[in-house]
Amino acid sequence: MKNYYFSTKKMCVGYDNKLLIKDMEIKLREGEILCLIGPNGAGKSTVLKSIAGQLGLLGGTVYLGEDDLSEMKAEELAKRMSVVFTEKVRVELKSCRDMVATGRYPYTGWFGILSEEDELIVDEVMELTHITDLSEKDFDKISDGQKQRVMLARAICQEPEIVVLDEPTSYLDIKYKLEFLLLLQEMREKRGLTVIMSLHELELAKIVSDKILCLKGEYVERYGTPEEIFESDFIELLFDMNEKDFIGNERLHAYMKQIGKYER
Amino acid sequence: MPDVARIFSGQESNETVTRILWDIRFPRATAVLILGGALSLAGYLLQTFFNNPIAGPFVLGISSGAKMVVALVMVFLMGRGIRVTSASMIFAAFIGAMLSMGFVLLMSHRIHNMSMLVVSGVMIGYICSAVTELVVTFADDADIVNLHNWSRGSFSGMTWESVKVMTVVVAATFLAVFLMSKPLGAYQLGDAYARNVGVNLQLLRVCIVIFSSILSACIVAFAGPISFVGIAVPQLVKKLLNTTEPILMIPACFVGGSAFCLFCDLLAKTILAPTELSISTVTAIFGAPVVLWIIKGRKA
Repeated sequence: MKNYYFSTKKMCVGYDNKLLIKDMEIKLREGEILCLIGPNGAGKSTVLKSIAGQLGLLGGTVYLGEDDLSEMKAEELAKRMSVVFTEKVRVELKSCRDMVATGRYPYTGWFGILSEEDELIVDEVMELTHITDLSEKDFDKISDGQKQRVMLARAICQEPEIVVLDEPTSYLDIKYKLEFLLLLQEMREKRGLTVIMSLHELELAKIVSDKILCLKGEYVERYGTPEEIFESDFIELLFDMNEKDFIGNERLHAYMKQIGKYER
Repeated sequence: MPDVARIFSGQESNETVTRILWDIRFPRATAVLILGGALSLAGYLLQTFFNNPIAGPFVLGISSGAKMVVALVMVFLMGRGIRVTSASMIFAAFIGAMLSMGFVLLMSHRIHNMSMLVVSGVMIGYICSAVTELVVTFADDADIVNLHNWSRGSFSGMTWESVKVMTVVVAATFLAVFLMSKPLGAYQLGDAYARNVGVNLQLLRVCIVIFSSILSACIVAFAGPISFVGIAVPQLVKKLLNTTEPILMIPACFVGGSAFCLFCDLLAKTILAPTELSISTVTAIFGAPVVLWIIKGRKA
């Protein structure tokens, strides 16, 4: 357990008592970025929700440092881990700044009134995530991509040690995707933020992650560094792609081959 | 009006007018303020709970459930010549409210469609009302007048005694709800984010259910079921304040409900004086258009 900031031991996940993935062993050092990849329906979201304590584990343990997550107080966990999920958030009459400020919840008093320090942190985070211009906009009336950036800012505002993100880049355009990944790397350098996220963009997963977890079927298909994952035909295998299907189309064929490779 | 001023300043010595004011008008006005506020707050809690702008104690059948149990208890006890105390009425109403609430919760587990939830609530309401009607029909003649008036909803016949009881119950519940404003605010973000910031969702849910049932029960026990206040007032208050923050909405809904009910009660008493309209008639006239306006304004 030593030296790892985040680890799981024989973690089994699923929902409604239906087992989905068994015996997961994940080990991450402080400041490492883990990406979950795998075909649709492989259980990426389920794994993330289980890690974040949103779904009960069907077996095994999740550790933050030395602490068993299931024995941690909710308020304490809230100060150490924050999340961004794919579920649409429906709120009324809340400005984007209000939304970001909800990340301060674990730090405020009984009535949840923000202190001056909290306000400063909110402003700072909004600047850091480049959403200061959205500040007064109604959260309900901005685009999905903008919402995603606001929710990310909210998660950072919670000042976590680890952040769990479910497809954080899905609604973002290319500029914001890259900006987002840059931000994550900054956060890990400055604050030692550990990141666990699922990504659909393999080429991004390849360049930002320290570890990659491949999900398919009821066991972890593969877990390792990007070099180890993106080798030979593993990606084709993971996603059930057949090279022959693409042979007629030169460009697609080349693209497919290139995605599965790791370049230094 | 001049009479009122004179009684307050101690100049008026007309015994009858003083009595009317002190024993009938003031207790009634106080009760309207308290119960109106409670009703609106119950509506706000339910709307937050179900994340549904047209939820309320009346549409979800909670008022009717409370009414049914109260009617059963009243007929049973009165038939045996036992006096029904305010506290036992509230308790009976609370049981009824929880029964309906339990049913609505069961349904909401099965169906996640918001309009279907309301429809099932309305159906529960109809069933409970039918049972109540049946009970009232078979009740002794002497009770019928009393029961009939009450089961349509009315603020008349309030005594200082009942005002005292309702003040204690509503004030305590209001305080408890106000203390919950922080977790309620987080609850508005949805389950996942609420849980992530450390809210004990199960405890919060149980609290909302119990407190909204106590408030609904209190109203039904004293004034019978009153429609639309619970839906319309929180929505109007929200638009007026342009916020959904519970810490502001909780007191504002209470005050708004008080004012709205006082106004409706005044109309109920005066429009066709000396005949008194049932309070729901008036609240529906002002409340129902608000509900239609809410539905119209919603994105599909």
